Amino acid sequence: MHKQTCSVIKICNGFQECGEKTVKILVCVKQVYDSPDTLVFNESSGRVEFGSHTVFRMNRYDEYAVEEALRIRERITGVAVDAVSVGPDRVRKTIRRALEMGADHGIHIRTGCETDLDPLERAHLIASLARGRRYDLILTGVMAEDDMQSQVGGLLAGILGFTCATGIISLEMHGNPREILLEREIEGGRRECLTLGFPCVLTIQSGINTPRYPSLSHVLRARSEELELIEAPSPAPSPPLLSVKRFLLPEEGEKGEIITGTPGEKAARLLSILREHSLL
Amino acid sequence: MIETRCYVIALHDNGRVAEETYETAAFARRYVAADPCVVVLSGGGEIEPLAGRLADRTGLTVIGLAGDIVREYCAEAYTASLISFLRKKGNAFVCIPHTARGIDFAPQLSVGIGACCITAVEGAGEGTFIRSVYSGRFRSEVRPETPSAVLTVMPGAFKPEKGAMQGPGSVKIVPLRAFELSTKTRGTREAVHANMTLSRAEVVVSAGRGLGSAENLRLVEMLSGIFPKSAIGATRGVCDLGWLDYSHQIGTTGNTVAPRLYLACGISGAVQHVSGMKNSQLIVAINTDPDASIFRTAHFGIVEDLKVFIPLLVDMYREKHGDGDA
Repeated sequence: MHKQTCSVIKICNGFQECGEKTVKILVCVKQVYDSPDTLVFNESSGRVEFGSHTVFRMNRYDEYAVEEALRIRERITGVAVDAVSVGPDRVRKTIRRALEMGADHGIHIRTGCETDLDPLERAHLIASLARGRRYDLILTGVMAEDDMQSQVGGLLAGILGFTCATGIISLEMHGNPREILLEREIEGGRRECLTLGFPCVLTIQSGINTPRYPSLSHVLRARSEELELIEAPSPAPSPPLLSVKRFLLPEEGEKGEIITGTPGEKAARLLSILREHSLL
Repeated sequence: MIETRCYVIALHDNGRVAEETYETAAFARRYVAADPCVVVLSGGGEIEPLAGRLADRTGLTVIGLAGDIVREYCAEAYTASLISFLRKKGNAFVCIPHTARGIDFAPQLSVGIGACCITAVEGAGEGTFIRSVYSGRFRSEVRPETPSAVLTVMPGAFKPEKGAMQGPGSVKIVPLRAFELSTKTRGTREAVHANMTLSRAEVVVSAGRGLGSAENLRLVEMLSGIFPKSAIGATRGVCDLGWLDYSHQIGTTGNTVAPRLYLACGISGAVQHVSGMKNSQLIVAINTDPDASIFRTAHFGIVEDLKVFIPLLVDMYREKHGDGDA
C-alpha cells in the first residue's frame, strides 16, 4: 500500500488549537485559472503553461464546499472551520478568500512547483495535515475545474480511513449532531439518500447552496489573519504513481463545419440548413 | 494492449445493468487485456440473473460478489468488498464506468489496493491513457507507473461490443463477508426536476454561461420561438447561477435529450453537458469563442456574439415567413 509519513512535514508557524470545538471541519480549496483562454500550449515542451494574463481564483465547486461548512457552523454551535490549499505562494489569495467568506483559520501547504501536482500527491499532503488534527468532517468540491479529476476527496478518505460520499446536493443535520443526512446526485437528476457518521469526507456538488459574497467585516478580519504555513517536503517522499507523458490538443478533424462569412451570411446559411432538415 | 489481469466493475440499478458497463468492458478488452473478468456486486437473491445477463452479453467470465451489504449501492460496502477481493488477486487493472457511482468509490479503491487512479479516460495509446483537462481545451496522456491501476471510463467514449462473439461466458458466485457499515443507505429519490416538455421537444435551444446575464435569456426564448415544438435547456452552470431552474438542466446529472435539433447558445461544451445531448440528430453551436469544445460536438458552428446574431437570425426568418403570429 502506498503510504507517506507525516513526520517529514515541518510546521513553520504554530497553529491555534481549536480547543473546545465539538465539530472540526476542514475545507480543501484549490486555486485554478479564471479562464482557460489564458492558457498557452508550449509546443517545444509539450506542456500547458499559464500565460502572462492568467488570473487565479478559487475553484467554483470548492466555493460551494466553503459555503456548506459555514452553514453547518451557523446551524450548530461549537463548529470550527479550517481552510487548506496546496500550492505555490499564489494560492494564499484563495485561502484568504475562504477566510473572507468566514472560515476561522487558513492553512497553506506550500509546494515549490508551479506545475500541477497529481491528485494523490495533493491528497497525501492534506492527509498528513489532517491526521494530527482530528477533523470530523472534510469537505471539498466535487471536482477541480482544471484537472477535472474528481479524486482528492475520495483519495483523502482512503488514506485517512474515513467514509466518503461524493456529489452531495443536500446536507442536513438533525437531532444527533454527529450524524449527517445526505443526498447525492446521480444520473438523470435522481438522488441517492444516505446517512453518514463522523468522520467522513464529502465532495460537494454545485447548486447545493449559493456561495456568499464576503462581508466587509470578514474581509477586514481576513486581512489581519495570519495564515498557517506548512512546507511540503521536496521532493515528495514517494514517487508519483503515474506520469503525464504529454499534453495534446483536442482531436482535430472531429470538428463540424464552421460557418463563415458576415453575420448576415452566416444567418442565411443557418436558415437554409434548418430548412433542408425540415426544421423550419 | 497492456496484457495484465483486468477486472471490469459492473454497475447496476434495480437489476438493470448500466449501459456504461458494456462500454467499459469494450474499452478493457481493446486496451487492457484480451479477456478481462467482469465483477458484479449484489444481494444473494439477485446476483445470479444479473451475472448471467452480463455473461450472456459480454461473453466474459463474470464473478458475482454476493452479500446483503451490497444489496443496495453503497460506496463503503463496494470499496471494502472490492479491496478484499482484489487484494488476493495480485496486480491488476480495474476498469469502472465514470458515472456518479463509479467515481464515488474508484479513488478509495485505488488507495486500498495501492494502485494509481486515472479518471474520465476517453482514449488510449501504447500503455497510456488519454483524458480531457483544462475545461476540455487540452488532453493529457498519462502512463501508470504502478503494476496496478484503477481507471474510470468516460460514458460514451467507447462503443460496447455487439453481442458475445464467443458465446456466453462463465459465472462464478463468491459470497461476501458481512461487516458493520457506518453508512446507512436510504434508497433513491426519483428525479426532482424531470422535465417532460424537454424530453418531448423536437428542438431544444440551450443556454450556457456565455450568454453573459439572465436578461439575455430572452435571446434564447426569442430563438426558441421560431420553432413549433421547442423547449429551453440549460447547462448546469446556468442553473447554478439561478438564471433558470434545474428542470432545464441538460447533462450527466440533469435531463438527457436527443431532439431533431439542438441549438447550443454560449455553451462551452463540458463533457458533463455534452453527455446529455450528444445523440441529438443535428447540433448547431453559437459561441464567441472559436476554441470552445462544443464546436467538436456540433455539426455546424457559428462564431458570433449571441446578442447580435440571434436577433439578426430571427429577423431574417420573420422577413421570409411573415410575422410568425399565425
